[in-house]
Amino acid sequence: MNDSTQNILICGIGGQGVVLAGRIISLAAFESGMDIKTSEVHGMSQRGGSVSTHIRFGKKIFSPLIPENGATAILSFDIYETLRYTGSFANKNTIIVSSNDGKTPAWTSKTKNDTIVNNFADIYSIASLLKDNFKSLTLLEDKRIAESIGNAKVSNIILIGALSVFTDIKENIWLKTIEKNVPEKTADLNIKAFLKGRASL
Amino acid sequence: MLNKTLDFSKLLLTGNEAIALGGAKAGVYTAVGYPGTPSSEILPYLSKLNSGAIVNWSINEKTALEIAIGTSIGYKRAMFTTKHVGLNVASDPLMTLALTGVRGGLVVVTADDPGMHSSQNEQDNRLYSKFAKIPMFEPSDSQECLDFTSKAFDVSEDFDTPVILRTVTRISHSRSVAVFSGKFPSDTERKNTENTYKKDIEKFVMVPVYARKRHKAALERLKRLIDFSNGSGLNSVEYNDKEFGIITSGISYQYAKEIAPFASFLKLSFSYPLPDLLIKDFVKNVKNIVIIEELEPFIQNETASLGIELKGKEYFPQDGEFNPDIVLSGLKKAGFFKGKKTADKEKNAGKDMRTNISLSNPLPPRFPALCSGCPHTSVFYALKKLKVPVMGDIGCYTLGALPPLNAMDSCISMGLAFGAAQGLSITKSSHKKTVGIMGDSTFFHSGITSLIDAKYNNAKFTAVILDNSTTAMTGGQDHPGTGKNLSFNQSVSTKIDIKKIIEGIGIDEIYAIDPYDYNETFKTLKKALDSNNLNVVITGRPCVLYPKKIDTGKKFKISDGCTGCDLCMQTGCPSIRLPYGKTGAANPVPFIDSSCIGCSICRDICVFNFIEEIP
Repeated sequence: MNDSTQNILICGIGGQGVVLAGRIISLAAFESGMDIKTSEVHGMSQRGGSVSTHIRFGKKIFSPLIPENGATAILSFDIYETLRYTGSFANKNTIIVSSNDGKTPAWTSKTKNDTIVNNFADIYSIASLLKDNFKSLTLLEDKRIAESIGNAKVSNIILIGALSVFTDIKENIWLKTIEKNVPEKTADLNIKAFLKGRASL
Repeated sequence: MLNKTLDFSKLLLTGNEAIALGGAKAGVYTAVGYPGTPSSEILPYLSKLNSGAIVNWSINEKTALEIAIGTSIGYKRAMFTTKHVGLNVASDPLMTLALTGVRGGLVVVTADDPGMHSSQNEQDNRLYSKFAKIPMFEPSDSQECLDFTSKAFDVSEDFDTPVILRTVTRISHSRSVAVFSGKFPSDTERKNTENTYKKDIEKFVMVPVYARKRHKAALERLKRLIDFSNGSGLNSVEYNDKEFGIITSGISYQYAKEIAPFASFLKLSFSYPLPDLLIKDFVKNVKNIVIIEELEPFIQNETASLGIELKGKEYFPQDGEFNPDIVLSGLKKAGFFKGKKTADKEKNAGKDMRTNISLSNPLPPRFPALCSGCPHTSVFYALKKLKVPVMGDIGCYTLGALPPLNAMDSCISMGLAFGAAQGLSITKSSHKKTVGIMGDSTFFHSGITSLIDAKYNNAKFTAVILDNSTTAMTGGQDHPGTGKNLSFNQSVSTKIDIKKIIEGIGIDEIYAIDPYDYNETFKTLKKALDSNNLNVVITGRPCVLYPKKIDTGKKFKISDGCTGCDLCMQTGCPSIRLPYGKTGAANPVPFIDSSCIGCSICRDICVFNFIEEIP
């Protein structure tokens, strides 16, 4: 791994748009002419469950998987899931976390005390725990920003916008890539969302 | 989808897409398979390329390979795709195809799943190449997937042999840059355009007298393939520091290059038969050599049989999927990093930060779950209440074995359920009637024969077919019950009726149920279980994801007064959840979130009538 390599880890829950976000970020890097490898999740991901996508780009990439602690940026769609991936964290990480309410797991037994969701700290305490421990962490108000432009569904593009600040990819390539990869009639909305996210940091 | 947005010559492709493109480039005439993670995306992508190939799902892997064999006998190129365990199903034709050889090139793509992301075992299909005496390619990225698939067809024809292209999840589902040059050959440009059929019984009729000759021919072929392995340039040596050498193949090569770029490498792309001369040369020139390979010590045992004892599994695990960190740890044990700087400094900093986080409770587990509104839910909920032994099978519905449903007692192989149900029922080890349960695609794949056997042998169990009109777990592929396929749309004549098959077997006690009606589902299952006959229960609701997302338009909520008894949560429906955060209540009350699609199963299950439709 040479110094210019960027390793982006996206984490969240199946169905939150992790795969689409990964697609857009990797295509933007590809369009910039860099060598790139990604590792996606298929199959089980659509049935709920914790998902992550690895994206690596730079001069020459070998492994599609990010080595432990090797992420240069982490984009998390779920505040609780962020904790699951702390193994990828290192000092200099950029960490962007959606401040959306965490989605509790599909089912947790109320008969086994150790897995009672009810006993978990609320997301506000998790947020402050994360902030206390990771100085480079941004809790992005993606939901509020999305609502301000009138569509809650563009949350993931707002998160990409925030992340884009930390990459070497040029703004026009981001815009071109987003335009090509979202449904045509939502292109303007998504570009607005991206720019809002990009300006939010 | 990628073609729409990108220049066709340089692409960002998954390994599976690149394999499809390589097949199209080679002018593949027939491409067939049965869906299975991580191989499922190859055929749909090939179909979309419009290369002129006939691309279709088959009923199972054995039939698919047989179709490929027929195409090859007809002088055309054929590709068969499967997940690792699917090759077991196709192994009968494979083992003898290895003797007959081919006419048109025939490539078997096996996608293995180290780490079992979505599989019941992690068998290493490289062993099939040795077992069957079939040459094997192992690509390590998408460019190689493209190039090797195309090359494999040439090798197949040049050496009169089927060829295995072996990939793994981390190759099939990773994207990397691949450059495509050339074009898809037109019909007349395809190799072996000969189309006058000729008999050749000494080659294709494997009765003992001819098979003995063909076995000798296969052994001869293997010798010629060793020369090819040494001299084709596919297996390559990169000399760097001659103190440290790595022999590796496939994805392990990429991890090793990442971790130890200073080492010398012997990269095996054509990994069976092994290039004996290249290996001997490498061993002569490099001082400390380790073999890095996921799963079985395949290269290690093969080199040992050449009289070269090298270490590998002494440092690396024989189970699970590798990653850069596992490779680093193995290479450290092998002494590759003595006195060298690694990324450990950074690492420790990370570890320190992690230990700062202390949670009073562990993270909530996220089991994969049946979807909101999944029609399987009510059947498993009812089976759990009926407390019967349930022989299960492979599909989304295997999730019915997990908590909270806990209503399946076995999952071993595709189509196991009815055979195992017969076998279990005759032991009388349970006083309850046995249930065998499988999906529609699995029934076509390998459930029909065991149901015939059950009728033939006078078995007494209840067979449940969860007919959701798709192959759901692998992404919604068509099968004979949908009547559609990659190359054609539905017509009356192509749709095969499961009920008619069962009637044809001579089973007359058949129940059709609507699984969205929980009370009826429970009653019917109970009736079928109370009857002492072999009987079949077929559910009739489509999958909520495929072919299109289903939303009934209804929404449900939990009304005031709910005491948090947990019954509705025992369905495992992902839309019924508890809030995060301490509420102080002994029995927190769940809520139904906006992902509810209105199946109404939970309303029927709530005995206190606290779940109501939102008007």
